[in-house]
Amino acid sequence: MSAIRSRLMMSALLAGGIALIPATACDRLPGRPKAAQSAQEGSPEWTVEVFNTSCRGCHAQGAVGAAVPLMDSAYWRAASDEQVTRGVLEGQGMLMPAFGLSGGGPFTPAQASALTRGMRALWGGGAQKSPEISGTLVAGNASNGKSVFDVACAGCHGVGGSAGSVTDPMYLRLISDQGLWTAVVAGRKALGSPAWNEPMPGRPNGLTTVEVADVVAYLSSQRPRSMSELKP
Amino acid sequence: MKPPRVVGMAIDWVEARTGAVAFLAPLLTHHVPRNAKWWYVFGSATLMFFTIQLVTGVCLATLYAPSAAEAWESLRYIDEEVPFGWMLRALHGWSSNAMVVMMAIHMLQVFLHASYKFPRELNWVTGVFLLFTVLALAFTGQVMRWDQDAYWGLGIGASIADRIPVIGNQVRGLLLGGPIIGGETLSRFFALHVFVLPGAALGLIGLHLALIMKNGISEMPKVGATVEPATYRAEYEQRMEKDGVPFYPDAAQRDMVFCGACLVLLVVLAAVYGPFGPGGQPDPTLIDTNPRPDYPFLWIFGAVSLLPPASETAVMLVAPLVGVLALVAVPFFANAGERAPSRRPGMVLIASLAVMAVAALTWEGKTSPWSPVMNAWSALPTPEHFLAGRTPLEVQGANVFQFAQCRNCHSLDGLGGERGPALDAIATRMTPDQLMRQIQQGDGNMPAFGRNLDSAQMTALVSFLSTLRPEFEAPAVIPGAQLPLPVQRMPGEVVTPVAVGSQ
Amino acid sequence: MSDRIQDPGAHSPARGGDEKPCVNCGCAERTAKQDARRGFMFRFGAVLLGVGGAIAAVPILGTLLAPARRQASAWVSLGSADAFPAGQTRFATFLSPIRQPTDGDAAKTACWVRCISPGKYQVFAVNCAHLGCPVRWFAQSRLFMCPCHGGAYYEDGSRAAGPPPRGLFEYPWKIDGGNLMIEAGHLPGMEQST
Ligand code: HEC
Ligand code: HEC
Repeated sequence: MSAIRSRLMMSALLAGGIALIPATACDRLPGRPKAAQSAQEGSPEWTVEVFNTSCRGCHAQGAVGAAVPLMDSAYWRAASDEQVTRGVLEGQGMLMPAFGLSGGGPFTPAQASALTRGMRALWGGGAQKSPEISGTLVAGNASNGKSVFDVACAGCHGVGGSAGSVTDPMYLRLISDQGLWTAVVAGRKALGSPAWNEPMPGRPNGLTTVEVADVVAYLSSQRPRSMSELKP
Repeated sequence: MKPPRVVGMAIDWVEARTGAVAFLAPLLTHHVPRNAKWWYVFGSATLMFFTIQLVTGVCLATLYAPSAAEAWESLRYIDEEVPFGWMLRALHGWSSNAMVVMMAIHMLQVFLHASYKFPRELNWVTGVFLLFTVLALAFTGQVMRWDQDAYWGLGIGASIADRIPVIGNQVRGLLLGGPIIGGETLSRFFALHVFVLPGAALGLIGLHLALIMKNGISEMPKVGATVEPATYRAEYEQRMEKDGVPFYPDAAQRDMVFCGACLVLLVVLAAVYGPFGPGGQPDPTLIDTNPRPDYPFLWIFGAVSLLPPASETAVMLVAPLVGVLALVAVPFFANAGERAPSRRPGMVLIASLAVMAVAALTWEGKTSPWSPVMNAWSALPTPEHFLAGRTPLEVQGANVFQFAQCRNCHSLDGLGGERGPALDAIATRMTPDQLMRQIQQGDGNMPAFGRNLDSAQMTALVSFLSTLRPEFEAPAVIPGAQLPLPVQRMPGEVVTPVAVGSQ
Repeated sequence: MSDRIQDPGAHSPARGGDEKPCVNCGCAERTAKQDARRGFMFRFGAVLLGVGGAIAAVPILGTLLAPARRQASAWVSLGSADAFPAGQTRFATFLSPIRQPTDGDAAKTACWVRCISPGKYQVFAVNCAHLGCPVRWFAQSRLFMCPCHGGAYYEDGSRAAGPPPRGLFEYPWKIDGGNLMIEAGHLPGMEQST
């Protein structure tokens, strides 16, 4: 009988001891749910979270994306905050959807500009927009642009060039003038497309704002005005 | 050392007024088969988990606010503010799953050993009712969490009820307690979860145990030891008399060890993984949600997505009935004869198929490959090697691929939806013309995009897809065509599809 | 030992009244008359219980079964019709016109409003016609997609792909004083015709 009793005592003590572990360490156990907290709007965590769910699909992880890579300082040197915020809210070209509330998207204007500022802070490389080249589109002269194109671009984008056509009407339907502007100014280094706000071989100053405007005007003039022009 | 006399007197006093000892003693000392080793512990473990559910459940009921406006907040409060509250919820949640699993194992063991044969048919039948009671407890328990999964889970239940011919609408109203999922829905399920179903379970467990006492524990099946209803009972009692061992302590020790181990495991799981949910707040206007049922129901979730739409309603409504009837009917169709699994290959096959089907459907339900990945288009970037060396038009095509949400259903580099096939090497399977047709007209479970994309988007998309093939593999050709089509593009040349539908 | 339960037939000491003592031991002997009376009392009790039970059953069944009765839907406003631009599909929310005080957030309801052209609308329930999960609108591909079992619908609500047996459920709508009104109040379901 005493054997049973001491056995009982032992197991009671053991159970009590084990029970003490969670009783004292309950707050530190891994299963304790963390109080849910959402990142503060405009903070780096918030920016990354928004970018990862809403932008990354096209604007890439790193420097390569189907659309302009936003994690690339070259882009932030070429783009102004107002232009980026407008693009986020209203969309751009045929393939950048409007993310503003008024366009059926999720962001208020305040959120869109917080996002823009957040992204510049994260990926702008400390750079402000480069002052030499205007971030927003300025009107250019298409026939001057044609000669700029023949000199500066045709080597890669002309017939027999390595980079494929940029005068293809189908291509031009899809991209806006602002998109062309950014493509020329910021380039896509990872895909071999030069940034024309940087020194180039034989062109220590790249292209001037006027030259870029002209070449964009030229490309724009090649865009079909209606779909019927596209029909074979 | 003898126990003090006063203990004996107290026991006598109670015994004289209740007969408790006379009632309980045979429960402890009744003879069970000697060879009923570790096989027989699962029922006890199920009972232990049920007891834990009762205790933790009553404690939770003292903290939980069963009102649709407050339930979710009260759970957050239990998790974050009440001392040990989260652990209480974790124990209740994990023990619920453990009980379902343990019950399934117990049932499988009984089925494989044909313990349901004469005279234990009703043991089985009460067990089947217990199975459904416990599943109902698990479902109503998920509703108690009153988060987005609970809300939309009820929506699924309501949609199924709605499909009942003629009275579907009424059944749905009774289920929800009103025309929408709301306060009365939660109150209704609360009543079920804490009063009706536990009461039913207690009654059924009592019956189940009483039947076990009446009929005795079945022996391990032996080839050739057939069940003959006419003589079985007398022979069984004889064998127990001669060869059985008392339940306590011979069999009870194993139950104790197994239940103890289960309990320790439960505590560890609860402490490490914590409580289930609550998920997002139950606001039906927050539709950015991916409703999934709890584990015990994932297989049903999987099944309803794999059913062909034409047969779906019939299967959803009839299959549960057939299932219940079939389970109840088992012992009545085979209540005599061999019990050994080796002599009942058909039954073993049925059990294995059932286990495999439930496991496979649960996996499918968990991964749900049929569900579009709702934010793939805006979250998963086009892999680098599908962009390098492409023309501007083709790169825009990659943008169209994201833009038109193709990625929600189609993966590239293993990332993206699995609703449709992966398109990494689609150009080896389809020519530009075929791609164009596929996208414009859709096919099977692929929607038609003809009216939703303009011809520039379509052209860019097709030219991008036409580049998706490993370098060393040839592009697709039209079957029977002599030469490969000239998809081998010259730099700067544009792949112009033959027929672009007018807008 | 007198409180031991006795067989109905066993003799018990006479209690007086009209029970006459039996010849052998003096206990009350059951007469046919007494049996008849006991039978009557039992039946009388049963009738009382039945009547009382039937009356008590009215509120019990009444409250339990009340939700089976269909309530009429009601018109509810989605706000100014101008908020829905032509050619677009927009998200809108409203409070269910049939609701209880304890509903909390659950009475909030979402729907998709498609403005075909000014003054011409389609208002879709968010609930997938398959099993009621909330469908999401993708303006780019002009598709509704369901996160549960892969149902997809075109812009006009017709079924595009997946398991749904039909198109999206629609709410009846009207314009009243510049507001877009819909008739709602029930969780959309199969019984509703488009
Ligand atoms: C060294 C060769 C080279 C030169 C010179 C060059 N490009 Fe490019 N360009 C590329 C490459 C490579 C790409 C990337 C291909 C792609 O986007 O598919 C590209 C892409 C583009 C794009 C498409 C960007 C997009 O996102 O759609 C445009 C527009 C463009 N270039 C315009 C120009 C213009 C205008 C000039 C002349 C000022 C020019 N390029 C000069 C190589 C060049
Ligand atoms: C709702 C989901 C869904 C979306 C969105 C979707 N698809 Fe599909 N797709 C499918 C399914 C499912 C199939 C298989 C069709 C079948 O049943 O034959 C398929 C098949 C295809 C195929 C044929 C693949 C093969 O190997 O036979 C191509 C090509 C394709 N889709 C391209 C696209 C493109 C391009 C887009 C975007 C414009 C797109 N899909 C959007 C679901 C989808």
